[in-house]
Amino acid sequence: MSESRRRVVFVVGSGRSGTSTMGGALQALGMHVPQPEVRADETNPKGFAESKWVVDLHTELLQRCRVHVSDARPSAWFETGKASASGITRARLTEWLGPQFKEAAGEDPAIDELVIKDPRLAWFLGLWKSAALRCDAQPSYVTLLRHVTEVVGSKKRYYAPGMAGSEFSEVQRTAAWVNMMLHTERATREGRRAFVRYDDMLSDWTVPLFRIGQELDLEAVKGASANDIRKVHQFIDPDLKRVQTTWDDVEVPARLRELAEETWTGLSRLAEPGGDTADVHALLDQVREAYGAFYDEAEAVALSSVVAARREGRQQALDERPPVPDAFTVRARRKLRRTLGR
Amino acid sequence: MSPTRAEPDPADYPVHWAWEDGPLTPGLTCVFRVKNEARNLPWVLPPMFEAVTHVVLVDNGSDDGTAEIAQRVAEEHGAADRFTLRSYPVRVARAGTEHLQTPPDSPRSLTYFYNWSFSHVRTSYSMKWDGDMVLTAEGVELLRDLAWQLEDSNAVVAIPRHPMSVESESVAWLDLGYRFLEPWVYPMGPEFTFVKAFEWEVREFPPTSERIVAPEGMCVELKWLDQDEFAHWSDTTFDPVRTPRKARELEVNRALHEGRGHEIEGLKRIEAPAGVHVIDYVTKQWMQLEPRPLTLRLELQETGQ
Repeated sequence: MSESRRRVVFVVGSGRSGTSTMGGALQALGMHVPQPEVRADETNPKGFAESKWVVDLHTELLQRCRVHVSDARPSAWFETGKASASGITRARLTEWLGPQFKEAAGEDPAIDELVIKDPRLAWFLGLWKSAALRCDAQPSYVTLLRHVTEVVGSKKRYYAPGMAGSEFSEVQRTAAWVNMMLHTERATREGRRAFVRYDDMLSDWTVPLFRIGQELDLEAVKGASANDIRKVHQFIDPDLKRVQTTWDDVEVPARLRELAEETWTGLSRLAEPGGDTADVHALLDQVREAYGAFYDEAEAVALSSVVAARREGRQQALDERPPVPDAFTVRARRKLRRTLGR
Repeated sequence: MSPTRAEPDPADYPVHWAWEDGPLTPGLTCVFRVKNEARNLPWVLPPMFEAVTHVVLVDNGSDDGTAEIAQRVAEEHGAADRFTLRSYPVRVARAGTEHLQTPPDSPRSLTYFYNWSFSHVRTSYSMKWDGDMVLTAEGVELLRDLAWQLEDSNAVVAIPRHPMSVESESVAWLDLGYRFLEPWVYPMGPEFTFVKAFEWEVREFPPTSERIVAPEGMCVELKWLDQDEFAHWSDTTFDPVRTPRKARELEVNRALHEGRGHEIEGLKRIEAPAGVHVIDYVTKQWMQLEPRPLTLRLELQETGQ
């Protein structure tokens, strides 16, 4: 009904899948990443194209739902879904998002097209969708696809000991990738969306970006100038693909490997022109159900470890509590106070 | 088909639950029990087809072509394969005193009627919905998300609704004085069936079920000023303690008929731009762009649901 020119593109996908490359390319073509941004570091020297406010919000919400960014539990989607349905959080996000769009003023052009990107974003797509609607903006989604073994290899390399996520094993990371990718696909299914393979971005980014511009109706991309195009060429480093691991380098149980491969096959079909079809959705629904059953089984087998960890956590909390004076000391102190008349 | 007046036999309307035959399929089914909703369904059904996995519509003896219109809308929206149409030609007791006097195991009871209607659900989650409630654009998105997020959670979801009295194609009055909150979305299973309450039926759920409250602005409840909205009640004397929502609706209805809409606190007049129907305008645009909070939350005790 609305003929608003406002657009918000949500760049999603597992971390280390080229989401920063996509966010940065859209930014170079003229879309706006709300400022300030998270600063570049050695894991992403060209920057993340991530708004600091967005990262802080997601971190706070994840903490409140007790969900990890790389959570492998299918039930974690219910927890973040609940947080996304909160009226207060929806109003808070809308209040932030609205002023990011701007009318043209003097020499400053209007800001009608935004890019929101954060590896935590997929957990809260319902929340963002509502904020976009409330700001009269059309939401759309770009999901980056990179083979799970490369993602796991890249995380292993860049999330060095002491960094967030370093406590996880290859098995957990593979499971978390399956969980993230299958549910991200489900969350974006009814929306306007595109899937882009990381390899396609690096080999010739003009093909997927041109398609995204057309399919998601993005003025900045459709009307990109020669200078904008040059900026993207300068931004995308052809040597970016620094990690090329295969199943030979990633050791996981056979069933998990099968599920990860089925996920990859299904998602890759979505990245083909005209590939976003009902039969692929049905296939991915089956894989999602199978992953849920696999996870339940693994959780049931490992229940003793969960109970033991809970017990250990309780004990640790008790150990860290400041010492409570024993009853004798308390009585002696009271008596001394009475004697001294205090 | 007009409702039968002879005492109906429960054997003709067996309640056989899908979970007795095996696991339910994932997804959310919306169940409508309707009578003479031909006027509303072209507004109500299209966004619902967008939002949920399946729609069950049980026609309770309509004589205005409700069933035919529902079938036509389903076909027009390419949703015929996700639509189940059933007829329940029994004269069901009206809400209020008549319901109270009807045993719950009689096919005339609202309780029985609801259980029979919901026995057609094959998905793991279900939602009761009224034939006059229109989802907003944000409501569609919320249900689409819940349809897969709720799976295995056992949570129930309450959704606030906003009564909207339609004066003409371009003018409507939205009641934002109160937040009318009612649980609509439930898992399917033996712990989530319908039982009898004083004025109507209620759906049971175990105390361990988590209760999620959806934000405001997800749906409007249509009321047409040119028709009697209270015909399906057995009387129009409402006890404001037991049925405060109905009492408020009656107050608003009377004020609008007497041209006193502006005097009612929380009642908002909305005029659609030229060429756009006010229902489309409110559900697809106005509701999303209106600043929150929407409702005034005036003091009103709500019980009974």
